[in-house]
Amino acid sequence: MKRSLALLFFAAALSAEMPSIPSTAAAPDDALDPASTGWKTARAVSLALHRTPPLYATDAPAAREIDSVQVQLLRGASAVFVRLEWADPTRDEVSLPGQEKTWVTEKLVTPSEATDRFSDSVAVMIPAEPGADVYPSLQMGDRDRPVRIYFVSATRGAAVMEATGRGTTHRTGERFPARLGYAAGKWAATMQLQNLPAGAPLSFAVWNGSQQDRDGRKYFTVWYTTE
Amino acid sequence: MPLHQIAMVLDLNKCLGCQTCTMACKKLWTDGDGMDYMYWNNVETRPGQGYPRNWDRIGGGFENGMLRPSELPSKLDYGQTFEYNYEERLFQGGLQAMPQEETRNTPNWDEDVGALMAGENYYFYLPRLCNHCTNPACLAACPRNAIYKREEDGIVLVDQERCEGYRYCMRACPYKKIYYNELLGKAQKCIFCYPRIEQGDTTACSKQCPGRLRFVGFLDDESSAVHSLVKVHRVALGLFPEKGTDPNVFYVPPFNPPRRGNYGKSVLEDARMPLDYLVYLFGQEVIDVIRRLELELEKAQNGGVSDVLQLLIGRDAEVRYQIPKRDQLVQIGGIGKA
Repeated sequence: MKRSLALLFFAAALSAEMPSIPSTAAAPDDALDPASTGWKTARAVSLALHRTPPLYATDAPAAREIDSVQVQLLRGASAVFVRLEWADPTRDEVSLPGQEKTWVTEKLVTPSEATDRFSDSVAVMIPAEPGADVYPSLQMGDRDRPVRIYFVSATRGAAVMEATGRGTTHRTGERFPARLGYAAGKWAATMQLQNLPAGAPLSFAVWNGSQQDRDGRKYFTVWYTTE
Repeated sequence: MPLHQIAMVLDLNKCLGCQTCTMACKKLWTDGDGMDYMYWNNVETRPGQGYPRNWDRIGGGFENGMLRPSELPSKLDYGQTFEYNYEERLFQGGLQAMPQEETRNTPNWDEDVGALMAGENYYFYLPRLCNHCTNPACLAACPRNAIYKREEDGIVLVDQERCEGYRYCMRACPYKKIYYNELLGKAQKCIFCYPRIEQGDTTACSKQCPGRLRFVGFLDDESSAVHSLVKVHRVALGLFPEKGTDPNVFYVPPFNPPRRGNYGKSVLEDARMPLDYLVYLFGQEVIDVIRRLELELEKAQNGGVSDVLQLLIGRDAEVRYQIPKRDQLVQIGGIGKA
């Protein structure tokens, strides 16, 4: 069932060969606001997004509807701010019902509105143990090279995850500051990450809910490094 | 493979379609937030669309050992919840009690509709729950390893901590007996009332059944009714055996007598419903099961005693349920020996 994509993703590479992402010093106080003026002057780079092939025999192939993500980095005193922007004509964001109630037996409860919709999401992955010459597998790291994932769902918010290979991803219980906004057919996400030294590797992923993206069914970039 | 396997046998000849089992389950397990549309146990009219509608025609399960593609049912497929215009009907002179909104589907939408054979209507009720399969497609499909089959009793559960709500399990289950709680972002399903089973008590759906049609016990317990009906007398079959999941909920197929005026004829010669439909649901072996039941019926009609028919009467709880408490499980055979 689970098709090995080892050849595709086991792309451990030397940092010297990786393209870099420009970073701008002096993040403003409102750097978490995707519309902050700080982002208007920060240098941006457009990274190609790749589509994972069908992971399971029961998956239909998915079209490549999103071809790139624009990335910016701002450096603060003790944190790095990332801004990601990508075009997505479908806004797959669910406002989970709050006050709506319906009777179930003798109780008033909040109903599930749908069973078959998925949320747009975005993530930044970094090696959990910085400084290694060989990068972790893009497939959620590997046993000897764990990864740390900053994940933001348009529906359920931000969560930190860790993994040592596919199927091992788990939530650490940590939250981190992040914002996600949609306007004019584009998502813009900002995240406050731990401080990253120059040359630190990063990779990015985008999930498109309308394509039933979840799990490893997604768009991803290869590893890049911070300037 | 688990050490022991809990199982249920349902005699479809006795189901009244009263939904008492459905409500017993609903009140006990699925009256929380996000669970409004879930009926871990439901009763549907057959032939009919089922719940969720067309669940039997949208794939899932295995084919040649590989998971078969399927679809995720929508909320509408499961059916709408609605209220009636009580205020208007009772206090404002309204003439009719009507649903408040346009209703296009409900969990038992085509109740008692059935189908026609030679101009005569036929239908029966099919109570359904998770089959706690020996080879669960849901478990095979979950990339999170969030679904597991308990070693001590074979009950299949979803680890709510590990589940990320990907819904591969929903798609893979050929019986569509896994549900998605959108509020929690988790898959949820029948737990075979495991807290009750561990105490030596039976499931809520079987306990409340006024038709006394459910038998619960361990398949590997040679003294149990389920063992007797499935393994010894071989009069109960799983749904859709060709889907490859090896279900552990079994059904005694509808065994209607021949039509009026045909006394003495075999059911197989003069059936009240198309046997093809029973073959569709239970596989080719259903014909042999009907033959066996017919022989038992003949034995009883000739003044003899049929152990099978006596057992299927299910006079009291002691006859229907044999559930050793958890610490007594060691005394029964083990699934490898059954």
